[in-house]
Amino acid sequence: MSRVVIAMSGGVDSSVAAALLVEQGHEVVGIHMKLHDASPEEAGRCCGMDDALDARRVADELGIAFHVMDLREAFQKAVIDDFVATYERGATPNPCVQCNGVLKFRVLLQRALALGASHLATGHYAQIGEGPMLRRSVDTHKDQTYFLFPVTQKALGKTLFPLGGMTKDEVRAHAERLGLVTAHKPESQEICFVEDGEHAGFVQRARPDVDGAGEIVDSSGRVLGHHDAYWRFTVGQRRGLGVAMGHPVYVSDIDPETGRVEVAGGDDLWHTGLLASRWVWNERPEPEEVVWARIRHKGTMTQARVGPGEAPTVQFLEPVWAVAPGQAVVVYRDDVVLGGGWIVQALKDDV
Amino acid sequence: MQNAPRDSVPGPGNSPVYLDHNATSPPRPEVLARALPFLREHWANPHATHRLARRPAAAVEEAREEVAAWARTRARDVIFTSGATESNHLAIRGVQRAGRTRILVSAVEHPSLAAPAAQVQAQVLGVDADGVLDLAALEATLGADVGLVCVMAANNETGVVQPLAEVHALCRAAGAWLHVDAAQVAGRFEMPPHWDLLTLSSHKAGGLKGAGALVLRQGVTVVSQQVGGSQERGRRAGTVDVPAVVGLAQVLHQRWPDEQLRGHRDSLEALAEAAGCAVTAPAADRIPNTLHLSLEGVAGETLAMSLDLEGVCASTGSACASGAAEPSAVLAAMGRDPRSGLRLSLGWSTTEEEVARAGRILEHVVKRCRSMEDVG
Repeated sequence: MSRVVIAMSGGVDSSVAAALLVEQGHEVVGIHMKLHDASPEEAGRCCGMDDALDARRVADELGIAFHVMDLREAFQKAVIDDFVATYERGATPNPCVQCNGVLKFRVLLQRALALGASHLATGHYAQIGEGPMLRRSVDTHKDQTYFLFPVTQKALGKTLFPLGGMTKDEVRAHAERLGLVTAHKPESQEICFVEDGEHAGFVQRARPDVDGAGEIVDSSGRVLGHHDAYWRFTVGQRRGLGVAMGHPVYVSDIDPETGRVEVAGGDDLWHTGLLASRWVWNERPEPEEVVWARIRHKGTMTQARVGPGEAPTVQFLEPVWAVAPGQAVVVYRDDVVLGGGWIVQALKDDV
Repeated sequence: MQNAPRDSVPGPGNSPVYLDHNATSPPRPEVLARALPFLREHWANPHATHRLARRPAAAVEEAREEVAAWARTRARDVIFTSGATESNHLAIRGVQRAGRTRILVSAVEHPSLAAPAAQVQAQVLGVDADGVLDLAALEATLGADVGLVCVMAANNETGVVQPLAEVHALCRAAGAWLHVDAAQVAGRFEMPPHWDLLTLSSHKAGGLKGAGALVLRQGVTVVSQQVGGSQERGRRAGTVDVPAVVGLAQVLHQRWPDEQLRGHRDSLEALAEAAGCAVTAPAADRIPNTLHLSLEGVAGETLAMSLDLEGVCASTGSACASGAAEPSAVLAAMGRDPRSGLRLSLGWSTTEEEVARAGRILEHVVKRCRSMEDVG
């Protein structure tokens, strides 16, 4: 079999993926990507990272080669800078998609090939079908294709997803059977580089000169309250508004120019379509074809049509709730990912 | 594990070729022979007063005399430490001269010196494109308030040797003491006598990890940075690591085969150049075991990993505890891409067969990196 590089985060999924590759007879090389400094005290250095040490222990248990790759500069540029800039322009970034599209399946894949590997493998829950085409994982709950849409077909041809045919429970059972140190590690949830989980503070530290404070208004412009940073908010957000209206209100629009955050009742957030740009297509559907689209990870699939052009509209057959600019829209035919783009604007029938 | 059709590397041998002697060199057999009795039989604390302490205590003092003889100084001027890192810290923090508080350090010092120097706001002296100290800058910066100047003997990443005779003459004229970190030279190659404080490492030359020394020219004094014990004449508290210390004395008796290493290094260098690599500071005076390379568009980290996978242990020259390659401050000071470096460092145990095998693997890896298609 061939040499395969496996991206090892130090979590259970990539640990099991590495073990499966070893069982399949590949010459497996584990790479842990050093993407950012875990805490301010650690800034500028890259030592003492527990996840890297976990990954190294698993590699040792599996008897495979292991290296830590310092990709902090590329991550800063492709993911962190984009994250801050997207919030700054009043939208909601999706750093995981950026990380996959640029860091893992461009930079790391290139490095893996330079190491003489035929393929790069990751612990994602996704499958690669004929084409090669990206397909949803067997475990539809865990399916991560939403995060993987920017991976080009050229890259998919050199990619393996060993967990694509397994459920999370099977993966855990496998980890226990192998006695991997990472078997009982909890799932990582937060954005990996925002240490305290407070993205607003992170953005403010990156943009110390920008004043994001402003008014909270209703659709008629009536001032309901004030906030200290518009980048705290995402379309559809209910918490943290601090306005009492007697009925639930949600963020419906964010204006970075004025810092004004508009709120509305839940009924006003039903969108019939969206405009998206910077698409990556594996196969573009004809404008009349009815496809499935989702606007968030684990979001429901909605039937839709994709219009023509570089930045097409996606018209949903049934309205979807709270389209958030900055997030991705991913388009499927059955379980096959046709492509995806970045949401620029939500659309309503009356607009 | 099966071996099916991947592009395999030509050549015999399954044991890895070790070309990372500047990180550490395998212990020489003579060192092990001399050290082992102090692990097995003479394990007592050399600073104790009972009979069992006598042999280890005597061994430490014998070793001290041997180091002093090698350094042409007095035994009392040899301070045993845990290694070069501690010796460098002791030099930076321990030299305390009235009215002479300024410290100057070269821009290419090892992090174990550069970091404590930065803590005490030492001034950094620039280097040229080869990494050689700018003597004019040194002369211009020296003054009556400079107490200490730190310039390494040879750089751990590039192997470039510093003009210590000239540096020392300038320091003397200005009344400054010259500290020389000789971790990459002592016990390996001829060590020039131009220093006032000298850092020695044992394991870089084929000794054991855990011992080093700071050797002082007569009249030079340092203040202990560890208290709670009167060992080393009150200049370094802590029980001396006897086996490591006798190993240090042993490696200083031996030398590495300069000319043979130079031949091996030059043949690897020619091969790397032919394959498309750039050699760092090829015209500079370099220690004969070190070859520093770069390949345009390819991170040194990628080259080092590739070599490891094919069975050659090498380094980028600057790694951190996690194992990731750090951008090199040395290359940055030389005005080069700080991520471009690959270091091959040979040593006393390197054989002709290993050099030939490493050459074939290096050629293969460089070729593969250069023929990479873009997946982006």
